[in-house]
Amino acid sequence: MITQMQVKGLMFDPYNNAYIVILRDEDQSEMLPIWVGKSEASSISLAIENVAPPRPMTHDFMKTYLDAFNAKVISVVITDLTEHTYFAKIHLTYADSEYTVDSRPSDAIALALRTQAPIFASESVIRKQSSEELDQWLENLKPEDFGKLDS
Amino acid sequence: MEEHAPHTTDALIQLEVNRVVEDSTTDTRIVVLTRADGTSDLFMVWVGASEGESIRRALDTSTTPRPMSHDLIKSFGEHLGVKMERAVLTDVKSSTYYATVFLENKGVVRTVDSRPSDAFALALRCQAPIYVTQDVWKRRTGQNLDAWLSKLETKNIGAQEV
Repeated sequence: MITQMQVKGLMFDPYNNAYIVILRDEDQSEMLPIWVGKSEASSISLAIENVAPPRPMTHDFMKTYLDAFNAKVISVVITDLTEHTYFAKIHLTYADSEYTVDSRPSDAIALALRTQAPIFASESVIRKQSSEELDQWLENLKPEDFGKLDS
Repeated sequence: MEEHAPHTTDALIQLEVNRVVEDSTTDTRIVVLTRADGTSDLFMVWVGASEGESIRRALDTSTTPRPMSHDLIKSFGEHLGVKMERAVLTDVKSSTYYATVFLENKGVVRTVDSRPSDAFALALRCQAPIYVTQDVWKRRTGQNLDAWLSKLETKNIGAQEV
């Protein structure tokens, strides 16, 4: 069982000096926060805001690479959560065959946003993350912790 | 794109990535390349910190526990049967280099525009050769910067010991 997720935004986590991609399902009932590095966050941010940088970023290059051979990203799935690390799979079609490639969630999301591919999360991932003491952590966040991506 | 991307390598100069140097005054890395023919002149390209890190890791052939973005591109190639033939530095404008990546699948060659950093990071992972055109070689930045570079490297070593 998988649930389709939308990228709701990005925020800065000052305690871990990292960024968090917030995924939500369509009913807004489930939330999946994924910690990513600075360069991955900036790549995802450019895709969310639909900004074309002067030079193609690595994920733009990745998209052009696939486009060159008419390989299509069908979907990406956040598949697992093990010891605070998420795992993802990218589903592709190429020359009438389907391929599944292991990926970090950050790469999968950055690529999905550029190829208009849907993002899914497996039920087990959503269940696992909600059991962590995340809600409490999020409640303690201050408004100034948001929107620091440009700093 | 095609006119900048020569389809033979006859007139090109082959380069090898020698090392990645940290420029601690800015948040950038300097990729130092040498000529494959052994000539002592250097070719330097400034890249972002994360791209520099990706190139450094490919040079060290140290495997990261999680695949990085360029490992994912390599993995796409392995799954789809796409081979990286070469990377060519094709142009330089306002001190910014432009690269073309040559990809091959079932005899069909496609070219993709790229930043040099992505081209280097992928070429090292795919054991693909890196070339520069004669024109770009002549217009390279970083000429006569050997002394400055070695000073920077000495400073970096000092900084790490603190």
